[in-house]
Amino acid sequence: MWNKVFGTDRRFCDRITRRRMLRVGGTSLLGGLTLPTLLQLQANAATSKPPKAKACIFLMLEGGPSHIDLWDLKPDAPAEVRGPFKPISTVVPGTQISEILPLCSHLADKFTILRSHSHNDNAHQTGRHWVLTGYPPSFADGQAKGVPFNELYPSIGSIVSRELGSDGDVPPYIEVPNALGPGGPGFYGAQYAPFTIDSDPAQPDFSVRDLTVPDSITSERFARRVTLLSEIEQRGAGQQAIGRPQALTSYYERAVDLVTSPQACKAFNVQSESTAMRERYGYTSIGQSALLARRLVEAGCRFIGIDHGSWDTHFDNFASLEKTLAPPMDRAFSALVTDLDQRGMLDDTLVIMMGEMGRTPQINKDVGRDHWSQCQTVILAGGGIKRGALIGATDSTASSPMTQPYGIQDLLRTVFHLLGVDADKVYLTPLGRPLPIVNGGKLIDEVLA
Amino acid sequence: MRQHICIGLALLTEIVIPLAAWGTEPSPLRVCPEAIRLDSPESFEQLLVFELSDEGIPVDVTRQAAYSTLAAGVVEVSPSGQVVPVSDGHADLRVRVGKHETTVAVEVRGVAAPPPVSFQRDVVPILSKAGCNSGGCHGKAEGKNGFKLSVFGYDTAADFHAIVMEDCGRRVSPAAPDQSLLLLKATAQVPHGGGLKIERNSRWYRLLRRWIQERGAVDRQVEHLVDISVEPAEVTLSPHGSQQLRVMARYQGDHSRCVTAEGEYQSNNDAIAAASRDGLVTATDVPGEAAILVRYLGQVAICRVTRPRDEGTFARPPERNFIDPLVWDKLELLRIAPSPLADDATFLRRVFLDTIGTLPTAAEARSWLADPAPDKRRRVIAELLNRPEYADYWAQRWSDLLQVDRDAITPQGAVAMTRWVRGQIAQNAPYDEFVRAILMAQGSTLSESPAAFFQVHGDPEKLARSVSQLFLGVRIECAQCHHHPFEHWDQQDYYALAGFFTGIVRQPISQGALKIVGKDGEDMKHPRTGRPVPAAGLGAAVADLPPHADRCRTLAAWATRPENPFFTRVIVNRLWAHYMGRGLVEPLDDLRTTNPASNERLMNALTDHLIALHYDLKAFTQTLLDSYVYQLSSQVNDSNRLDLQNYSHAAWKAVPAEVLLDMISQATGVPEEFNGWPRGIRAIQIWDNRLPSHSLEVFGRPTGRSGCACERGAEPTMAQALHLMNSPTAVRKVQHRDGRAARLAASNLGTDELVDELYLAALSRFPTDGERPLMRQALARPADRREAAEDILWTLLNLREFVFNH
Repeated sequence: MWNKVFGTDRRFCDRITRRRMLRVGGTSLLGGLTLPTLLQLQANAATSKPPKAKACIFLMLEGGPSHIDLWDLKPDAPAEVRGPFKPISTVVPGTQISEILPLCSHLADKFTILRSHSHNDNAHQTGRHWVLTGYPPSFADGQAKGVPFNELYPSIGSIVSRELGSDGDVPPYIEVPNALGPGGPGFYGAQYAPFTIDSDPAQPDFSVRDLTVPDSITSERFARRVTLLSEIEQRGAGQQAIGRPQALTSYYERAVDLVTSPQACKAFNVQSESTAMRERYGYTSIGQSALLARRLVEAGCRFIGIDHGSWDTHFDNFASLEKTLAPPMDRAFSALVTDLDQRGMLDDTLVIMMGEMGRTPQINKDVGRDHWSQCQTVILAGGGIKRGALIGATDSTASSPMTQPYGIQDLLRTVFHLLGVDADKVYLTPLGRPLPIVNGGKLIDEVLA
Repeated sequence: MRQHICIGLALLTEIVIPLAAWGTEPSPLRVCPEAIRLDSPESFEQLLVFELSDEGIPVDVTRQAAYSTLAAGVVEVSPSGQVVPVSDGHADLRVRVGKHETTVAVEVRGVAAPPPVSFQRDVVPILSKAGCNSGGCHGKAEGKNGFKLSVFGYDTAADFHAIVMEDCGRRVSPAAPDQSLLLLKATAQVPHGGGLKIERNSRWYRLLRRWIQERGAVDRQVEHLVDISVEPAEVTLSPHGSQQLRVMARYQGDHSRCVTAEGEYQSNNDAIAAASRDGLVTATDVPGEAAILVRYLGQVAICRVTRPRDEGTFARPPERNFIDPLVWDKLELLRIAPSPLADDATFLRRVFLDTIGTLPTAAEARSWLADPAPDKRRRVIAELLNRPEYADYWAQRWSDLLQVDRDAITPQGAVAMTRWVRGQIAQNAPYDEFVRAILMAQGSTLSESPAAFFQVHGDPEKLARSVSQLFLGVRIECAQCHHHPFEHWDQQDYYALAGFFTGIVRQPISQGALKIVGKDGEDMKHPRTGRPVPAAGLGAAVADLPPHADRCRTLAAWATRPENPFFTRVIVNRLWAHYMGRGLVEPLDDLRTTNPASNERLMNALTDHLIALHYDLKAFTQTLLDSYVYQLSSQVNDSNRLDLQNYSHAAWKAVPAEVLLDMISQATGVPEEFNGWPRGIRAIQIWDNRLPSHSLEVFGRPTGRSGCACERGAEPTMAQALHLMNSPTAVRKVQHRDGRAARLAASNLGTDELVDELYLAALSRFPTDGERPLMRQALARPADRREAAEDILWTLLNLREFVFNH
């Protein structure tokens, strides 16, 4: 469907230009109103120093990836801890990672391994909430069913969305393929909510919900509709509208932009990539999501949250990792970093890959590993992060950091620093409570290039 | 506590003429205070200088005045009118503005032999104003970098201990006061996360230094702070005009002190007037009213700012009931001209959506518009209030507020409670009875009753927070941990209220359901002192609890008394906000003396009216909707374009998600299909707050996790725009083979009649003369009649006029 709309037979992107749709009688669509909020956002970039990163791709490995089997192996630990995987050398002398990450081992000189991440929330929903918002949640784990369950605290993507706005026609904060549990806007309100793709780009019929003009509407017909809409708006009751309706107008303009902009439709059209490129990332959910993320960054998106699940390996940890989980991640991450680098985008695109926790050093009776938030490895690349660094060290069983432990606020403060967002900026919650973007935390100098 | 509230309310209701006690002297200059006494080296007095304008309005010229003294070296005066002592003695302070001059007698003593510094009176306010004890810094629950102060300084003893005793006493060094860590950090002479907070050798620095030098003593005798007052309490400003405030703290024994420098200032409406750190209020060019909140050591006062438009005449519109003159009075004061009455079609659509969350059908609109009866507006309101959709719609609104959440109280519980709420609304149960029934609910959460309210809120504190916010409009949760920053409430009040809910027993019966039993409870313990806090209503005396009886009964009786200052106001404000688009108080469930209504007289009149109606909500709604004010047009004029809070024009209101989805279904003639629900059911009839529906999510359906009315997404989003334009839901309905567009296209209606039907169905009006030719043009090719009808319907659904209630 996507191809039909944006491909050769019905090319909105070039046959009917956005300009033509928007410009009717010399004013823009819906009466020449401006985009005050959105433009103001872009002017709000809250830093005096130029930021290192323009955008951030956040790969959330939901469930908690096993750091001790992936990035922080302990071959000398007892058998009930170390597991079957062997460490292999990487292109960085002295840095070893797991044999199940062969592709990453070849580009370890491009990213940083932070082994000393630690926090004390050992549950999924609450831990994820903390990671994605910087605030431990006020609800108990397991109580918040459904999404979104961060009613109060805005997530990183929503903060970035508010502080930086979009750099193009695409929305500033996009989630792919699904919503990141607590990835919502919290008290910032719906205007900072993520644009959630809710469709897997690895599927052959991938299309973005509500973005695709339905088959039954030809581009000419769509143009007729938009023209009629704009003409009626200019005459009708909405003309004088102030406040909310005016904001909706700006969203309509952006929605039309999104549907008709060559840049935006190109960005979402992951199918237009060459087969070779698509294979490089892997025809997997995480692979094609990462490829789509790169395209969205090119189109001006600021924050892409990639949701990749099933890392909660309580059972059959090793086979799951080796067969199902690690290979697509290894391929996707290495392809993403390499691709960004080759396109000259790595220096201003920050890539983070982590889960809400690590996993227990002790192997359980089901040959699985359980929750272990005291220690996790975080992978960082680009956007002002050192290349090829190995930061932090853990004890003999990868149970806890031996070096300075870095918590979630430290990590988020560092992310915002790189993106040029003032982490100390304060917004008032609906109760009037002042809430800094990040509550405390220290910049992790060690990872900065 | 009671006393504070009375003072606060008095402030709100009295119209205080600025400095009315001037007498009748001819000099146009006035200075406040008329005489100054400074009694310590660090004392301070804010002067206010006013000049009477030609119209006789006092204008603040404090910053334009020139200050001088004949006796040199006694006092210094800053250009902004702040007087500080230099040495003991007397002086006449000359204040000169243009040709006019006046003098103020100044006496300075206590510089040579200063009175001791008081920790509570002098030091704590500085720590507050400098931000040291704010929630983002050392006032955080866990402190900051090892130094913890009580937030906003509510716990003097703990703060004294933290500063003087902790950390081996290195925070204060009486022998070398300048080397005290407290001062080194505050002045950023050593690295300080918070940066520079107090300038070296400033007045505050000298005061802290002297306190340390005097060996940082704990106060032997505490001067009890009675209240604070602000001058002027009301002020009228011209565009971009300004007014310096002066804040006085009154202590027991009627001794007062100027605390302008230590007071904290916050405007409730920066778009109209903002307040600086020093208490200088500056207006913008937006006409309207603002309240400046002044806070000092847990005491609060407000200054009300009026910013009339600088020109314009006011023609008083007609009056339908008591609401209208009260609104016109305010608009006349502000010189804002109201919009004219909305036309019939706009009114009809508005009143349908507001009362029953449903569009008029094309037939209803057509016949009502044709009806020549002069009282047809009044009649349609009365009819709507008796329609079943009224009960559906308001049951859903109340289920939202009461947090009827399928996941929290089981689907059966949600059905039971929604049914109970709907029944109450359908039979128009008086609001006070409705609330009493909720607060005293007992029995199975599966029975048709509000018992599940006590399942949603599983503990006394949650109940206290929700009951207080929902039914009293008081956001007490701030006081769970610290003194409410904008109010008098503290932990004592919080635990006193929670104490009413300690007797509720929740017995599991089956599959997640509970049996609620109300028993005698026990008092909650104060977390700081550990002492029991006797149960009491907010601002009320300790409750007289009958022994071995359900405490909730006592609470319900107290909460729903008409004399309860909160109970009626919050429901008045809720309904007013629903119909008028903005509460008299905003946020609408945050009633505080420091957050006054934008029209206090109207609020009081409405409150009295609802009490007189014995809480009959339908009758009250009829009064609201009958008013001329409700029926104004949303089209703005030059004078009321910027007005958002005085009801000079109708507001553009976002409609709830369920209503918008129903509107689309109704306008297209294609009902939405909800999985597991009978065909034709409407979204406003569905009790299941978690029914999967992308449309409802995109349109901002709340998830029912807090009783805050703010939870419902009222702001438009791009996803919403995309959804209306492109979603299968909208597109399929527009193009459905049995849909309205297809049916009309297949009919033998002429072009204009077809367009009329589409307009009436979607917008409840006929096309305008300007729109008519565009429609004829769209339908010009007979072969594409259905396609054109679909395009027109699509267009109408995507108009702002459709998406909003206006």
